[in-house]
Amino acid sequence: MEPGLLKSADWPLLIDLYFFLGGIAGGAFVIATIAQMLDSQRYRDVVRVGYYLALLAIIPAPIFLIVDLGVSSRFLHMMMVAKPDAAIGVGAINIGPFHLKPLSPMNAGAWALLGFSGFAFLAALLVFLEDVRKAARLGGLRVVVGIIGGFFAFFMAAYPGVLLGATARPLFVSAHWLGAMFVAVGMATGGAAIALIMSSMGAQARDALSRLMKVTAFALIIQLVTLILFLVAVSSAGSAGSSRALSVLVSGQYSVAFWLGIVVVGLLVPLALQFGGAIRKANPGMVALISVLVLLGGFLAKWVIIGAGQMVLS
Amino acid sequence: MARTLAMFTDVSLCIGCRACQVACKQWNELPVEEPEWTGTYQNHSNFTDKTYRLVRFIEKKDEKNQLQWHLMSDVCKHCAQAGCLEACPTGAIYRTQYGTVNINQDICNGCRYCVSACPFGVVAFNHDTGHANKCTFCNDRIHNGLGPACAKACPTESIQFGFRDELAAKAQKRVVTLREMGYKNAQLYGEDQKGPLGGLNAFFLLLDRPSVYGLPEKPKLPQNNVFVDSLLSIGSAIVVGIGAVVAFRERGGKGDI
Repeated sequence: MEPGLLKSADWPLLIDLYFFLGGIAGGAFVIATIAQMLDSQRYRDVVRVGYYLALLAIIPAPIFLIVDLGVSSRFLHMMMVAKPDAAIGVGAINIGPFHLKPLSPMNAGAWALLGFSGFAFLAALLVFLEDVRKAARLGGLRVVVGIIGGFFAFFMAAYPGVLLGATARPLFVSAHWLGAMFVAVGMATGGAAIALIMSSMGAQARDALSRLMKVTAFALIIQLVTLILFLVAVSSAGSAGSSRALSVLVSGQYSVAFWLGIVVVGLLVPLALQFGGAIRKANPGMVALISVLVLLGGFLAKWVIIGAGQMVLS
Repeated sequence: MARTLAMFTDVSLCIGCRACQVACKQWNELPVEEPEWTGTYQNHSNFTDKTYRLVRFIEKKDEKNQLQWHLMSDVCKHCAQAGCLEACPTGAIYRTQYGTVNINQDICNGCRYCVSACPFGVVAFNHDTGHANKCTFCNDRIHNGLGPACAKACPTESIQFGFRDELAAKAQKRVVTLREMGYKNAQLYGEDQKGPLGGLNAFFLLLDRPSVYGLPEKPKLPQNNVFVDSLLSIGSAIVVGIGAVVAFRERGGKGDI
């Protein structure tokens, strides 16, 4: 097919930012939950920073989404409409005015955003209550909130990739790896954001910083692997559209941002620094630098891929 | 569900008069648009939020290097498995009792997911209203027994409207006739309900390969990816989750560093 005949949703920077913040929030929440379950006392600061960060990062999310809509006042239609009995898709579930469409990642994502926001608020509230009371009586409840919220958190990081894969855009539709890659990006940027904040806490945070760098390094490796698998899948798709879309990414308009921004600055340099001693030494300045690079690369991973995939090809 | 209605467009009968395009504009009260130079008589290059019917003028050289004109009146396919309908998060896009696919303008919130989910590039976003738009098969007309305006206006019966099963039988006979006449590449597109997207409720008789007309050879439902993509995402979540558990469980403590 002539790829120029396909249309693009033209999602703007706001949507890239939403996907980026959703990934950070999801990653930070999961890391906080894991740290809490393994040793809530020792990793107290990781838990506190992680849960607070998850809430702060997710607060602007609905605003970005609502502003981007053609009719912003209808944002609730994502989950509820006054006409629930129509044939609106395979597997669609209508309960009262509400609807859930499992095959529409945007609909499922709206529900996940609602659920995650609730758990992010609860987790941050529980941390706050403990801070105020200076006691750990709410530990059991926090574990429950952390585990259930953790599922929503992973969903928040992953679903934008699945959403893109369920379009007709040649760059997105030919590969299955965007969701998997966005999970890794979310984990890496979530870990980097916590580490960036904790790098200002001084020497007492070094153990946590070292561990956060390990989490981030591991997620970056998975990001690199899934990125390679993504490129291989698109290049072997064999359609004229997919090869043109790929060329926009790797040798066209977005190539500099892709190779220099995502691959070198966002992946290779942080990994080289981490395995070059940053994990072991956990020098706060170096950790902060790595974190900034990872965050930059994580944002570019979303901006570049979404931008290149949405370009109308001719 | 009522008997499925369909539109059969036979490109071998199209003379490129664009009566269908004009009739569509008039009935649906779609405003005029700035013409664009496409290199042929075709205007516009693709469907827009104000052009639901579009006559394609395709120029192609044959084996003898002779210029051929392929004319085709294109329209929303009202797919049996519709990417736009499955993508729509609001339920604004729905299937009627006649099997057609419509956008309820009172529900659409302008997220534009349907625009990028259509394998044919049909659905378009209207920046003035903030809604997505496309052909409705003249929903108001067919509910009153009038038939779509484009089919009514077509002077050569290149566009025919009726019950799907009857039109499919007619189309199958017509393709045999055309092949006997020497049009060896004549083929039906979207007529087969066991084919891609479960068949198209606006199907075509083409005189050449679908790609010549700008149609995908084997259109796929984008939502077929959701299951595999989700599984891979879960796999990735498990792997990075294990990585985090290992990082926070490893021995070493405050005194080590």
